[in-house]
Amino acid sequence: MIKIMNWFSMVIGLIPINRQEVDSNVILDYAMMFIVPIIYVTCYLSINWMHFIGVCFLDSCNSVCKLSNNLFMHLGAFLYLTITLMSLYRRKDFFLQFDERLNAIDAVIQKCRRVAEMDKVKVTAVKHSVAYHFTWLFLFCVFSFALYYDVRALYMTFGQFAFVPFMVSSFPYLAGSIIQGEFIYHVSVISQRFEQINALFEKINQEARHRHAPLTVFDIESEGKKERKTITPVTAMDGRTTGTFGNEHKLAGEMKRQLGQQKNDEDDVDSSNDEDEDDFDYDNVTIAENTGTTSEANLPDLFKLHDKILSLSVITNGEFGPQCVPYMAACFVVSIFGIFLETKVNFIVSGKSRLLDYVTYLYVIWSFTTMVVAYIVLRLCCNANNHSKQSAMIVHEIMQKKPAFMLSNDLFYNKMKSFTLQFLHWEGYFQFNGIGLFALDYTFIFSTVSAATSYLIVLLQFDMTAILRNEGLIS
Amino acid sequence: MAREQSSEAAAVQPLLEQFQQLFFISKIVGILPQDLDKFRSRNVLEKSRNGMIYMLVTLVVYVLLYNVLIYSFGEEDRTLKASQSTLTFVIGLFLTYIGLIMMGTDQLTALRNQGRIGELYERIRHVDERLYQEKCVLDNSTIGRRIRIMLGMTIIFELSILLATYIKLVDYTQWMSVLWLVSAIPTFINTLDKIWFAVSLYALKERFEAINATLEELVATHEKFKLWLRGDQEAAAAPPLDSSQPPQYDSNLEYLYKELGGLDMGSIGKGSSMSGSGKNKVAPVAHSMNSFGEPIDPSDKAGNRNPMASNMVHESELGNAAKVEEKLNNLCQVHDEICEIGKAMNELWSYPILSLMAYGFLIFTAQLYFLYCATQFQSIPSLFRSAKNPLITVIALSYTSGKCVYLIYLSWKTSLASKRTGISLHKCGVVADDNLLYEIVNHLSLKLLNHSVDFSACGFFTLDMETLYGVSGGITSYLIILIQFNLAAQQAKEAIQTFSSLNDTAGLVGAATDMYNSSSTLHDLVTTTMLTPTG
Repeated sequence: MIKIMNWFSMVIGLIPINRQEVDSNVILDYAMMFIVPIIYVTCYLSINWMHFIGVCFLDSCNSVCKLSNNLFMHLGAFLYLTITLMSLYRRKDFFLQFDERLNAIDAVIQKCRRVAEMDKVKVTAVKHSVAYHFTWLFLFCVFSFALYYDVRALYMTFGQFAFVPFMVSSFPYLAGSIIQGEFIYHVSVISQRFEQINALFEKINQEARHRHAPLTVFDIESEGKKERKTITPVTAMDGRTTGTFGNEHKLAGEMKRQLGQQKNDEDDVDSSNDEDEDDFDYDNVTIAENTGTTSEANLPDLFKLHDKILSLSVITNGEFGPQCVPYMAACFVVSIFGIFLETKVNFIVSGKSRLLDYVTYLYVIWSFTTMVVAYIVLRLCCNANNHSKQSAMIVHEIMQKKPAFMLSNDLFYNKMKSFTLQFLHWEGYFQFNGIGLFALDYTFIFSTVSAATSYLIVLLQFDMTAILRNEGLIS
Repeated sequence: MAREQSSEAAAVQPLLEQFQQLFFISKIVGILPQDLDKFRSRNVLEKSRNGMIYMLVTLVVYVLLYNVLIYSFGEEDRTLKASQSTLTFVIGLFLTYIGLIMMGTDQLTALRNQGRIGELYERIRHVDERLYQEKCVLDNSTIGRRIRIMLGMTIIFELSILLATYIKLVDYTQWMSVLWLVSAIPTFINTLDKIWFAVSLYALKERFEAINATLEELVATHEKFKLWLRGDQEAAAAPPLDSSQPPQYDSNLEYLYKELGGLDMGSIGKGSSMSGSGKNKVAPVAHSMNSFGEPIDPSDKAGNRNPMASNMVHESELGNAAKVEEKLNNLCQVHDEICEIGKAMNELWSYPILSLMAYGFLIFTAQLYFLYCATQFQSIPSLFRSAKNPLITVIALSYTSGKCVYLIYLSWKTSLASKRTGISLHKCGVVADDNLLYEIVNHLSLKLLNHSVDFSACGFFTLDMETLYGVSGGITSYLIILIQFNLAAQQAKEAIQTFSSLNDTAGLVGAATDMYNSSSTLHDLVTTTMLTPTG
């Protein structure tokens, strides 16, 4: 589905073709991004200046119809032009950067999964739930219905020239929705990464629960042993991961070096070979006492990942947030006028004038469609926010459980504390928003609904009967 | 030591150096009372009694002129009062003096603050010096350019509004019409005052960003360093060290040792003296040599100092925490100081900003409402005659809203930049991955969390984009309500007119059938007009 959407947005010139390749033909890439807006502007100007063909210039279109159609058209022009300009301004750089960063993040996640022995678990991200498919199907139906309705009505009115009025009536809203679709896609990718990280954190959390008791026993025992055993728990775990997965050699080595420095261990820190030999002894002990897997070596990587994903979302928001603002505004205006026209005009005089009906239904249909898209955007942004918050929660939980690796080593405690503090800073700094005007989460729904109610109360006081009577719609 | 100090002072340009033209204009127009000569010679803002007197005189003159303007143009209003709706009249009456109030607030606040503004810039200069010690140099020339751009835009906007209104909408055959020029004074003075605030705010933002950039640079260099170490370990097993090293790391390392490593020329001796003590690391010669900033010939690179070099890296890592701690501490203190300056600045300008925001909100609403009235061919108050032409209205609105929105946007951005510092600080901690450093970072981060700077207008509302969202919503809803009332009033007026004319015709014709018909339509009209306001 996402491929279809990407392909479609390339065709209507919202994102460059070959957006993931660095070197490609510039003209080919941006051709559609220039052609489609030019077509749109020609249609818009030809309707407004030359009065070529437009719904509002037909004789059968009365004053209400004219007003609402003009509003719809100009609002669409505002929406489409701002969005297109921002897309042109964005160009390919964003997509390239996004992919690059995402690949880096994915590589680290893979590494961490290997350490955490999670790659045996099937990757669930590929399988989507029923709700996912249903949402896509629903969206597809809504959009095809809206387009079908508009095209049919226009075709009945204008015949083969229907393309021109279509470009100014429905097309801008379609384009805006598709850009929001791109936003949705990018946010969902981000939120997926957050989920994966959370799974890894959760794994550490569970391990901490399981391993708490046995390891204390182990610690007590080990105190009676040699002096060297003060560093046993962590080193042993690392050693074992090294043994099990040869490719984790580097990470384990790093860990050891730090440990070595901390304990002021005078031994050669980097010659991991002999340590590995030693480790196998402890290794057996650990396995004998405790069969849980160890993955807290992941923690520093996970913290870095969390930070990276957040910076990625800052970039994404910086690119798509400004495009959200005109879309939300258009959605708001269309919805309010949709309700207004439906209650004040359509209830009273439906069926009297075909064009008037067409315009009012157009409002209703597009208000519904844009609202659905806006809701999905808000929902996904909220989800991503929650997922990122959850990571901090899980880390706190781990800290509360006082796992062995934390008690034995100050470094881990400080690391986790640092992470949670950093998250506090992030929380103050970033949230998905539309250039700071509003936060993209459920609070936005509340504020818009309350604003819409007050506007509606005022708008519904407009007395339309005199106007309708003048038009001869009611006697 | 003293020489060092003086050289530092010379290296840091005072921020006020960029304010020359702005200060000159503000002095002439009477916004700032400070001494002009002292500013010219020493770039300081100092109290001056003469300036104060001059400023008070200008204030009184402006107020008098404005009142004369209102009085002379009020003649037109008085004749119109009977015909126009009371709503428009009352709004016009309320908003007549708001420009004057705004200007008075600006000037009086400037008088009150005349001692403290100088202090503020002095503090900024101290911050600059401290930042310079931490090796982040700020470029103030962009600020000078910014001031010139803003001045130019102000003059263009003011002139275009003034001239367009004067030529198109004022009857310039009378000599009194020259007084119309006075109408531009309050906004012009207000804008000049706000340019001071905006530019100082921008300077603060730049300082925050410089701190962030320094921290990020620390992270970047350390990452490269780590990469190099790792590559090194892999290469260690394999052959001759010097040739295997890619040359591009040298410059990076040079940074690293300056920033993170904390090894300077003096500690080389120490390092070399300890070189015998043989904790072997795998660092190669070429790097560590270059990393101290020593100009070594490339031919010399393939040197024979392998043991010493290998120690150097080790040494640098140990020396890391203490040196970095000092640096981070300093940066955080500077951050604190900038936050304090921001708060002080916000306090100095709190009343002018509040009055500007009130002015922006009211004028924006009123101008749109009067534009609507003008399109309906109703008369509007004479002071707001620019609303008669849509184009002038658009220019005036974009000027007013541009002022407000730019201030809000800038405060929002500054606040965000100050919050960003905490994140960058933590990045340093994570990338170094050192226990001691973590402790330092955690400690400093708590400090930063408590020291965030938020700009507000007298504490009534914070200056961020969410306020803008709320205000735009407010403007729209008020506008809709006003237009509704206007419609209702117009309908009522029409109803009264038709009623009287109908009475006339009824009296003239006197036919029973006509009477019946007209009274029924009258009944209709009255019911519609009565129903409209109540809904």
